[in-house]
Amino acid sequence: MNFEIFIMNGFGIYVWSAFVFTFLVCLFLYVRTRKTLKKLEKNFIKEANNLSEEQFEDIKKQKITKEILISHSRS
Amino acid sequence: MIKYLNPSYVFKISGKLLNLFKTLLIPLVAIGLIFSLFLSPEDYIQGDSVRIMYIHVPSAWISLFGFAAISFFCILNFLFKIKNVTLIYKSLAPIGLTFNIVAIVTGSLWGQPTWGTWWAWDARLTSMLVLMFFYIAFIFSYKFIKSPDRSIKACTLISVLGLINIIIIKYSVEWWSTLHQPSSISLAKETTVHFSMLIPLGLMVFALFMYVAVIFLMKYRIETIRVKKKGFKKL
Amino acid sequence: MLLKKVKIRLSILLALSVLSVLAIFLLFKVLEDNVLYFYSPSEIKNSDDINLKKKIRIGGMVKKGSIQSYERDIKFIVTDLKNEIIVSYSGTVPALFAEGKGVVAEGSLKDKKFFIAKRILAKHDENYMPPEVQESLNKDAK
Repeated sequence: MNFEIFIMNGFGIYVWSAFVFTFLVCLFLYVRTRKTLKKLEKNFIKEANNLSEEQFEDIKKQKITKEILISHSRS
Repeated sequence: MIKYLNPSYVFKISGKLLNLFKTLLIPLVAIGLIFSLFLSPEDYIQGDSVRIMYIHVPSAWISLFGFAAISFFCILNFLFKIKNVTLIYKSLAPIGLTFNIVAIVTGSLWGQPTWGTWWAWDARLTSMLVLMFFYIAFIFSYKFIKSPDRSIKACTLISVLGLINIIIIKYSVEWWSTLHQPSSISLAKETTVHFSMLIPLGLMVFALFMYVAVIFLMKYRIETIRVKKKGFKKL
Repeated sequence: MLLKKVKIRLSILLALSVLSVLAIFLLFKVLEDNVLYFYSPSEIKNSDDINLKKKIRIGGMVKKGSIQSYERDIKFIVTDLKNEIIVSYSGTVPALFAEGKGVVAEGSLKDKKFFIAKRILAKHDENYMPPEVQESLNKDAK
């Protein structure tokens, strides 16, 4: 295997650390955001189910609430 | 027109766009990385360290545009009290801060082999560091100031000062002598980056903006659900 | 027509902007010397009070054919194409330090024409191109 392409005439250490750093930061932000979103959606459904029948019908009239409930039950 | 500004419509669309962008993201990032790391040529003086530019420049742009955008929405909210835009700037600010840090770190990793130093207190680098503090102050203002009225005022003040800082960042390399080189790409003059290097740069700009869009949409949904959940308690 | 409340907010905002621009402008006036990262040879020549003990930075282009090195000691001329300063330095220079390229030297002045550097930084310009393109440009220039 040709390692020249990774060593980059000695600049490799700087180039790779810059790319790896950026990649890790982006991955971390993505994973964390996704986790928060999933958790919130789950929580939302749970709380909505805990509401009384009347209240549930009430919130269902709100379009966004309905959308969250539908999109989550699908996945 | 009104239909498109309707929060429930925006929320519905955000879900669909999110799925589309997510599928596009991985191939875009892969192509961008292959071009910027392997297929593009080295520079005539910087050698291979020029490759760091392909993430440094898009990150810096994202942090600048990001702050301009959050300031715009914040001022819009201050003037017209449009509640829904708070969701937009709350979703954007953390992304801008992240890329501001990425720009500083990658710039430092480029500076060491090129200039011979990790950091210099010149006008460009310092004003970029100041931008980071503006981002942090902005995020603190909407997170920790409980009264919405006061929080908007604080955010607006930071926006105005931050916007002036954005202008300073942009022109710092022209107004004062700095270690940082002048801009290579601008609307006013011909670009000084060779075509073979513009390709990876363009691809990385595209890929990173796609990433920003994905995170933004996820954050937007998070903020919307949070608002809706607060509504439960009032029942 | 704008609402009255919006008008009031707008005027607050405008006043705030004007005030901040003014404040920042004054701040930079006070900090003037610190905002400049380095001085050019012409600025050194034209300044009246030169503090020989103070650590300063000078910058410009390394004059072509001016680099003389004896082992670790190196001497070269920094020019802004109008005035020149001789710089002497001992130590390693950055890889990108070269004749005809930008440089920033940190140290102190011995007199207006002679500078003793403690540190050398290479300044990069805004041009990015592959080596082959640079070669063909050089050929065209000849």
